[in-house]
Amino acid sequence: MTTTAPQLAGEPAELRDSRRRPLGVIWSVIRSQPQAAVGTAILVLVVLVAFLAPVIAPYGEREVVGQPFQSPSGSHWLGLDDGGVDMVTLLIWGARVSLIVGFAAALVAMLIGGAFGILAGYFGGKLDILLMRLTDYFLVIPDIALMIAIGAIWGRSLRNIILIIGIVYWPTTARLLRAQVKSVRERVYVKRARSLGASNSRIIFRHVLPQVAPLLVANTVLTVAIAIFAETALAFLGLGDPSLISWGKLIENAFEGNAISVDAWWAIVPPGVAVAVVILGCTMLGQALENTLNPRLRVGHLSVRRFRLRSLPDTIDPRAAQAAPTARSGR
Amino acid sequence: MSQPLLRVENLHVWFDLKRGAELHAVKGISFDLERGEKFGLVGESGCGKTTSILALMGLLPSNASVAGSVLLDGEDILFKGEESVSPHRWKDVAMIFQGAMNAFNPVKTVGDQIVEPMKLHGVAEGKQARDRAGELLETVGIAAARADRYPHEFSGGMRQRAAIAMALACNPKVLLADEPTTALDVMVQAQILELLTGLANDFGLALVLVTHDLPVVAQVCGRAAVMYAGELMESGPTDALYHDPHHPYTRLLFAATPDLLGEGEVVSIPGAPPRLDHEIPGCPFAPRCDRTFSPCPTVKPRLLKVGDGQEAACHLNDPALVQAS
Amino acid sequence: MRGADYVIKRTVFALMTVFVAVTLNFIIFRAAPGDATTALRCRNCPIEFKEALRKELGLDKTKVQQYGIYLKELAHGDLGRSFASRQPVTDELAAPIKNTIPMVLLGEVIAVFLGILTGVVAAWRRGTLLDSGSLGVALVFYSLPTQWLGLMLVILFAGTLPISGIGDPFIAFTDPTWWETLKDRLTHMILPSATLGIVLYGSYALIVRSAMLETLGEDYILTARAKGLRNWTIVWRHAFRNALLPVTTLMAISLGYVVAGAILVEAVFSYPGIGLETYDAVFAKDYPIVQGSFLLLTLSVVLANYIADLLYFKLDPRITT
Repeated sequence: MTTTAPQLAGEPAELRDSRRRPLGVIWSVIRSQPQAAVGTAILVLVVLVAFLAPVIAPYGEREVVGQPFQSPSGSHWLGLDDGGVDMVTLLIWGARVSLIVGFAAALVAMLIGGAFGILAGYFGGKLDILLMRLTDYFLVIPDIALMIAIGAIWGRSLRNIILIIGIVYWPTTARLLRAQVKSVRERVYVKRARSLGASNSRIIFRHVLPQVAPLLVANTVLTVAIAIFAETALAFLGLGDPSLISWGKLIENAFEGNAISVDAWWAIVPPGVAVAVVILGCTMLGQALENTLNPRLRVGHLSVRRFRLRSLPDTIDPRAAQAAPTARSGR
Repeated sequence: MSQPLLRVENLHVWFDLKRGAELHAVKGISFDLERGEKFGLVGESGCGKTTSILALMGLLPSNASVAGSVLLDGEDILFKGEESVSPHRWKDVAMIFQGAMNAFNPVKTVGDQIVEPMKLHGVAEGKQARDRAGELLETVGIAAARADRYPHEFSGGMRQRAAIAMALACNPKVLLADEPTTALDVMVQAQILELLTGLANDFGLALVLVTHDLPVVAQVCGRAAVMYAGELMESGPTDALYHDPHHPYTRLLFAATPDLLGEGEVVSIPGAPPRLDHEIPGCPFAPRCDRTFSPCPTVKPRLLKVGDGQEAACHLNDPALVQAS
Repeated sequence: MRGADYVIKRTVFALMTVFVAVTLNFIIFRAAPGDATTALRCRNCPIEFKEALRKELGLDKTKVQQYGIYLKELAHGDLGRSFASRQPVTDELAAPIKNTIPMVLLGEVIAVFLGILTGVVAAWRRGTLLDSGSLGVALVFYSLPTQWLGLMLVILFAGTLPISGIGDPFIAFTDPTWWETLKDRLTHMILPSATLGIVLYGSYALIVRSAMLETLGEDYILTARAKGLRNWTIVWRHAFRNALLPVTTLMAISLGYVVAGAILVEAVFSYPGIGLETYDAVFAKDYPIVQGSFLLLTLSVVLANYIADLLYFKLDPRITT
């Protein structure tokens, strides 16, 4: 076996090696596109902050250190929230829950959506039609409204919130993956494996999955962004876990505590900025990945800039034709 | 003596590549075109023939640069680049593209798209324009009523004919046809060629037919030029190119076309055309040529007159060089 | 008639989606652990009262029977009664919906306008700073949580624009003209709509841009250029017209977000629409309202989707099935 896989016609170069290392593809995109690099950097930074929360938080997350909505000062850079707790601490601890919900929910969506998509794409036929019909119905139903409806009855625990968000977001992943799987299925090496008698599950896990893995990851990263947004929306409606602090909850607390009427911008602005930064990071990374793996670049026929004129090169004008004395032909 | 309708002199086209490199796609080609003449431009895919005719209309992308002159009725239309060439588009020089399937915008009717350039160039407006569009469609053999239909409702051959009608909208002097018959089946091909020939003959339309399909050129064109790797190899009357070629490439090219009656061998030319991102010192065809000799790889052959109206760029036509070797 | 089957297919699809939503609604609210009565804040309610309530709500029957009754009631437009006000849900939600619709429409208009402008310009000036810059800005706005942006706008405009309600409560006393009432309504609408539009336009801009880029690579664009059309004419008359097709699809897809946005925005601005009703109902655990609201919102989205399908069909002459 050669170390680099031979290139199949029409396959983007990045995918070629993914048959050996799906992670390698992602890494190469991160390396080559600044947008992806910035996005990854943001995410890594935030994850680190969340991880190191017990170490870097200046105060306890329930420790009352002053008056409600006390303004920022030397010892409290972002002031205090409606309960008198240090905002910087809350922000750092809040990262944990927001990120956990975001990643876990996206994982749930990826597992369900991925399974549906792969099954529908690989087996085709009636299963495909049934699954896709179902997916289509769910795609139309408004996501957050559904989450609110479910959350109103079942909500208010971390596990439930994660499940609710994940369950509502599987359709997009399913659709995307189904399309990918369908095209991968027709590739030469898959057909070869099937003709050699490999079982379906073996083919799916050894051949199909590595090929669709990069796109799956790209889609999951984007889902993390939506999941974090969903968490803030649910928290804002009081459907979050009441015992846990998340950025969404911080915004809700500020709103409920009438931070606006006392001009306490420090209680409102930071959690929103934090959410925005993470969503931005995810979007940048996810989109860069998707654009690379699903390339739709084409030469544009229009441009503001025009073709340029230049002077003739210094070669002899080939038009200096001369008569050949004898008609010696160059046959 | 009257000047030719179109004179292309020493046309060069370069494309910018990554990291400061460039591709020299067209390397100093020249040809003349008279009124009502049918001229063929032939060569393998990638030899620069399409790029050449796109350059004539200034339809190159922004990473292209151009040198040389294109004289339309004596006036250099490339002189100021986009500015000087755009007024002549469609009014004097029109084009039908490879794969006319996609030349039409799918969300507009065919009639609308034929009428569009008429108003722009002041040829006709309103009802007059629509009537004219109908007439043009009739000229190419399509019922005038079909003007209100959408492109996807036309078959491939009909779309090609509609594209020709659209090209004639502003009564151009020159029609550039890029592979007009590729991707069409044989019967339709014949119809299109007949149509083009008729238009040239009846309306004095000068035709430049770009193709890699030699029988087409032999059938339609009185004169032709052969390009290879962006350079002109030989040009002259089609008959002469066929029966009395003065360049090995011309000879091999015409020999590579299977005879319909099965006579003669099919000869294929081994090897592949050279890359164009670096300058080639000698004759570009030398690596694949069967008559190559000492000057070929290092000295660029000049275009030499080898017959009545026939020129070829091959050292074999230069008796001095041949004797010296 | 062209595409009669297309229309029929889409109609059937819309109806099926409604059916799925209706069933989902039932499952969510009736399959919950415990039932509606256990969540009632009724500390000293005697057992008999709860039993009577259960009977009234039909909770003593089997699930299947309940489902049947539920469907029958729905067919009659009966969405139950609010726990809090004891009024029919349909009455409670009728007026608020009328307030929400114009606000959301204005938000969409803002988003579409900004999105198309940004997308076309970015595609047109592809690769330049204008392209990456305007996309960057759009992306940043897209990443903002809607309720948070609303709060920011409240902070910024508290003095200059109304930040709550649908209109001046005292305006009736000044005997306003039709125009003055309209102006009053609009000034109260502008902030919530703007919040919606600003967060929404980012995704529109992205789609418009990529649709335009795709279109600009098509052969008919080269033909248009060969005809001597000016670049600007080509962009708007040919490219944009084709790029509209995916935009319509995107507008349909983003309806789910619009619903969420409406709820959040109305909460922040105390705008008396169906979003605020839902917000209050969730906090008050008034399940019939929440249920009814979910149903109505889903129905609106299905309807909007259906209209978008028909619109797409009208725009693209290639679709026949």
